[in-house]
Amino acid sequence: MSAYDEVEIEDMEWNEELQAFTYPCPCGDLFQITRDDLRAGEEIASCPSCSLFITVIYNPEDFADPPDPKKSQPQPVLVA
Amino acid sequence: MQPSLQRRRFISGGKLSMEGDFLEEKAAVAMGEEDRYDEEVRAWSWGAASDGQLGTGTLEDQLFPQPLLNFPPLSSAAAARRIAQIACGGAHSIALTGDGRALTWGRGTCGQLGHQELSNCLLPKPVKFLESFTITYVSAGWNHSGFVTDTGQLFMCGDGSFGQLGNGDHQSHGSPVEVLFFSSKHVEQIACGMRHSLALVSDAGSSGSSIYGFGSGRHGQIGMFESGTQRSHNFPKVIEGFENCEVVSIYANGDHSAALSADGRLYIWGRRFSGRSDDHTPQISPSPSRITQVALGWNHALVLTDNELYMFGGYRHGMLSGSPQMSPMQQTLVPCAQARTLERVPCLDENVVRIAAGAEHSALITEKGTIMTWGWGEHGQLGLGNTYDQTCPQRVNIDYKGSSASAQLGIYCGSGFTIVAKVD
Repeated sequence: MSAYDEVEIEDMEWNEELQAFTYPCPCGDLFQITRDDLRAGEEIASCPSCSLFITVIYNPEDFADPPDPKKSQPQPVLVA
Repeated sequence: MQPSLQRRRFISGGKLSMEGDFLEEKAAVAMGEEDRYDEEVRAWSWGAASDGQLGTGTLEDQLFPQPLLNFPPLSSAAAARRIAQIACGGAHSIALTGDGRALTWGRGTCGQLGHQELSNCLLPKPVKFLESFTITYVSAGWNHSGFVTDTGQLFMCGDGSFGQLGNGDHQSHGSPVEVLFFSSKHVEQIACGMRHSLALVSDAGSSGSSIYGFGSGRHGQIGMFESGTQRSHNFPKVIEGFENCEVVSIYANGDHSAALSADGRLYIWGRRFSGRSDDHTPQISPSPSRITQVALGWNHALVLTDNELYMFGGYRHGMLSGSPQMSPMQQTLVPCAQARTLERVPCLDENVVRIAAGAEHSALITEKGTIMTWGWGEHGQLGLGNTYDQTCPQRVNIDYKGSSASAQLGIYCGSGFTIVAKVD
């Protein structure tokens, strides 16, 4: 089965309750994909109520892990 | 949506039983009280029921037509028991009665039911806020609703996050709010899509009509080009191209918009249909003859002419709404370069009088009262007793026991569900 549609991430809405980006599914429910999914490179958003899914078009760099603040901060210098 | 079913059932049930003026639930159960109401069934619903959009009290998908009992609810006036129009959205429905009252049911989590609360409602319930107005036209979008009064005022409620309520902000409202932009104008119709709205305004002293668009314009659905950063308009803006045109009907579904002129021409704009680019300005759709009715899905459209039913789009999602058996009919009367291909809908041997389109399914009624459906069937929205997709219109059997033979049937599709009603 192929994707029902291709949707740009800009067309998806962030849903606080579901903690996911969502887009309307023709069944009445919502296609959903989490930030972690996107960070992992996942591009399929599925609907919990039916068999349909969509392909999400996004730039993976926008969801890449932010640089670890501990590493970027200057380390305290140990003094004897 | 499974985890929240129990919670929703509890909330809706609690509210229903607490409100003394809302007797449908009791009436449906206590069928013995014939003297309190008549038993004539005036509407049937089937398909997806995740949010109570079928109006029968169920949260489970229904594969066969189910009667709406005691609908519209008991009232002393005969006009209050007539159904004038039904509008179905993403997962909610609006019924307009003969005396201009609005009832809503289904998903209410964005305020789209207008009940001043953000909860689902499993049975039709009057919109109290509008009781002092006479409503003449209603429309249901994905998560928002529009109500037009006999004096040309427009009220809207529900999701406003794309500016689709038209009051200059992105607020959502659980109670209908008047769109003040139109306070000195006369609104005739409202059409609510997924994230946008269209309003048809009659111009006194002019032969033309005005159509205003507001909400998301990402795919051209409000009839204007988006500027780099502005992707929605939260204030109504006139759509150019209808200055000398008398528009009789406007339509919105998904990211599509359409208008039908008095002389039977169809203008269409918004998100691309199969293989096309988005249209940011209204385009005249080719047609072999005068168009009388239109229905928009999310990826297809139905076009009824004086004697044929056509469909375009639909191939894009294969089985969902298109038919490989259809023979494409090339058009020669094409005023624009980007021609759409109309396909004649097959398997019809009776004249079609009413059409409707859900997100990915289609429905019609013939002059003999035959109800037919086709397209996506996963949630039972075709009413055929199964969850199969259909590429040709299939006959739906409804038990008309107690029906008056003279009643006209209307057919209405929400995203994943269907309603048939006797209308006057």
